[in-house]
Amino acid sequence: MNGSQIQARVEPKAALQTAADLKTSYATGVGLEGALLDKKLREKRSEAYIKAMTQLDGGGARLNHGEVDSLIAAISAEFPDLKPHQFAVGIISKCYLGEPYEVHTLDTRLEIIEHYKRGQPLPGGMERGRSLAMHPAYAFIEIYSDCMIAVASSGLVAVTKGGCGGEHR
Amino acid sequence: MSTDNERIIHLADLRRIQSSLASLDSTITHLDGNIAHVSGQVQNVNAEVQNTKDRLEQLIQEFKDFVLKDQLDKNLQLAETRLVKVRQELETKFGHYDEVRRRTTGILKAVDASLVKRQTIENATEEQMLAAPGYWLAPALIALASWLNDKRELADKAMMEALRLDDEKTSLFFALVTRRGGRFKASREWLDRYFGQQDPHELEREIVVLIDGFTNGIFGPDARTKTSKQIEAWIAELSEKAGFVEEQHAQWKAALEVMPVAAKPDEYKFLRQYSPTWPQLDSSLHGAKLHEVVYSHISGIFGQEVTPAQSIAYAVDGMLDKLVTNFDDEELPLRRDERLLSLIVEEQGNKDAAQSRFGVEKTLEQRVSLTQLLTNFAMHPDVSQASLSTQKLSIALSREWIRQAHDDMTMENRAAVPGTIGLAIDSWSGQTMDGANEAELLQSLEAHMDQRMREDASRVKLKPMHHIALGASIFIGIVGVAALMPAFLLFTVAGALFWYLSKRSIDKKRKIIEEGYVELKESCVQILRAALADTVEWRLEYAEEDAKASLVSEFLDGISAEQYAYSHYDKARAVMRA
Repeated sequence: MNGSQIQARVEPKAALQTAADLKTSYATGVGLEGALLDKKLREKRSEAYIKAMTQLDGGGARLNHGEVDSLIAAISAEFPDLKPHQFAVGIISKCYLGEPYEVHTLDTRLEIIEHYKRGQPLPGGMERGRSLAMHPAYAFIEIYSDCMIAVASSGLVAVTKGGCGGEHR
Repeated sequence: MSTDNERIIHLADLRRIQSSLASLDSTITHLDGNIAHVSGQVQNVNAEVQNTKDRLEQLIQEFKDFVLKDQLDKNLQLAETRLVKVRQELETKFGHYDEVRRRTTGILKAVDASLVKRQTIENATEEQMLAAPGYWLAPALIALASWLNDKRELADKAMMEALRLDDEKTSLFFALVTRRGGRFKASREWLDRYFGQQDPHELEREIVVLIDGFTNGIFGPDARTKTSKQIEAWIAELSEKAGFVEEQHAQWKAALEVMPVAAKPDEYKFLRQYSPTWPQLDSSLHGAKLHEVVYSHISGIFGQEVTPAQSIAYAVDGMLDKLVTNFDDEELPLRRDERLLSLIVEEQGNKDAAQSRFGVEKTLEQRVSLTQLLTNFAMHPDVSQASLSTQKLSIALSREWIRQAHDDMTMENRAAVPGTIGLAIDSWSGQTMDGANEAELLQSLEAHMDQRMREDASRVKLKPMHHIALGASIFIGIVGVAALMPAFLLFTVAGALFWYLSKRSIDKKRKIIEEGYVELKESCVQILRAALADTVEWRLEYAEEDAKASLVSEFLDGISAEQYAYSHYDKARAVMRA
């Protein structure tokens, strides 16, 4: 972990439903595959989801575990038909903490938010979405293992690099 | 005596040695001159070699350009010649159909004007049946003539024959003819028959006639409602298929991506020549410029006013002409050849570009899906025979797919924009994001050139031989002094002179090298500044073109299908849900 990355401070878990609980609850779901999954991921995102994802900076540089969990919960609520392993690997958006920070990421596997400086590479294949995250037309970028989805603040999405079908991660 | 002898020998030796040294000095001076001359010649040869290399490369490039242009010219000539042949073949093989086709509206107009005897019409149609026995339109015309003459039995018989030869076209033909005569019920029944034979996955190309009829308000209210509902049902049916939406996006993306963008080969010539990132930059700017092209195409279509035909009869006659002229499957292979050759001519002999456009068009497939038809109507109205109204309706019905395809294309283009732009000038390379780091790059370039100059200059130095000669001559001088033979000092002088002259020659060469590098550095600095100016301009132009993406989205959001399915003839408006 690079010293310039600000990691969400781990605090005692809140009483709300945690990401782990959600994973357990959805693990038994049927899930969507192939073209149906593509269709689902192309749907317009809800206002609540956009709001949740665009307020990663709201709590400042540090987010407690409960807040990270609530973001994961927002993703689960947005995609109730998806298995957790089909969720985006990460979400990147422009960082408003100011210089030298440029973007921040929500890593849904590690359940952490990290802020990155200009020129500092993003891990786990998320670098490919960096320039898009900086583009004013998009609110944030969802990174999947085989595609990227750019989400505008209106909720409309654009998809690149082939379909999003199949198993993610 | 002995002393005198020694002095004589001494003087004699000194003279000889002096003479030898003078000769040596002269030789060294001459040699130095020769070295300088050779060095100059080597420089000249180097310059000549470089010049020849540059000219050779230029010649190779010109030759390649010539070969390419020659190939394109040949392709163009060949395509033009073959186009004429294909058209002649169409004329030879299917020319006699024209006679039948011309009679179609001829009969209707003659009846309207009551100028031709009905018997003449009947006879004329029967003759056509003899001339083109396998052609569906010949019995259809006999049926029409018999119908006009109230000969039901013959009309039924001829109609059955026409239906046997081509059920779909005959049904559509009579739907139009009955509509022309104001027989709404009959028209609707013919349309029902036609619709009953259609599969939205595999529609015949002539359905454009029906859709044109619908968008231009030719059909009566019942038929219009029926058509509207049928199109909606087809789209709904297709949409339920898994992967349909993605297919539409891919289809539209392919159609949008091949839209022609005006190339400007003189733009950004420094980035073009000195940036290894240029191919990506070129592709990104091309992608960004597509926004305006797409916007102009779509807004251009919607900006045109539809001019309705003078009357329903004129409108239907136009449709009938189109139906009987453009959609006979027998002609399709030749029509395809004709289209491909026309595209090769349009692309100035570039077969690959023409083939690529032809592949995307799919305008001359025998059967295509409804959505592919809508794409064809919107993008290639000339080849797909779509009217302006149909173009508008097609775009309105497809607007969600177009928007999504355009959004995906925009995102893909934005993701591919190079963050850093590489620069490679001579042996130096560097990177810039937006041209703002000019001072840093200039410093790097100058440091690189200085370093190269030092390295090259350091390679031009005295050889060990020079130092050995100097060392040996000093040694001889010392030995001479020790042996009280001062004449030996002359060896030292000669050695020192040799060393000095060599050193002077080396210094001259170094100066030439340094001067060369000063010139090279100045030239590279100018190129770097120009490339950075290109970078700034490129970023500005890209941002400007990229911002036009929203024009397309906003325009598409502002249109709806119901706006573009009007009736011009009975003032009723067809409402489509979209």
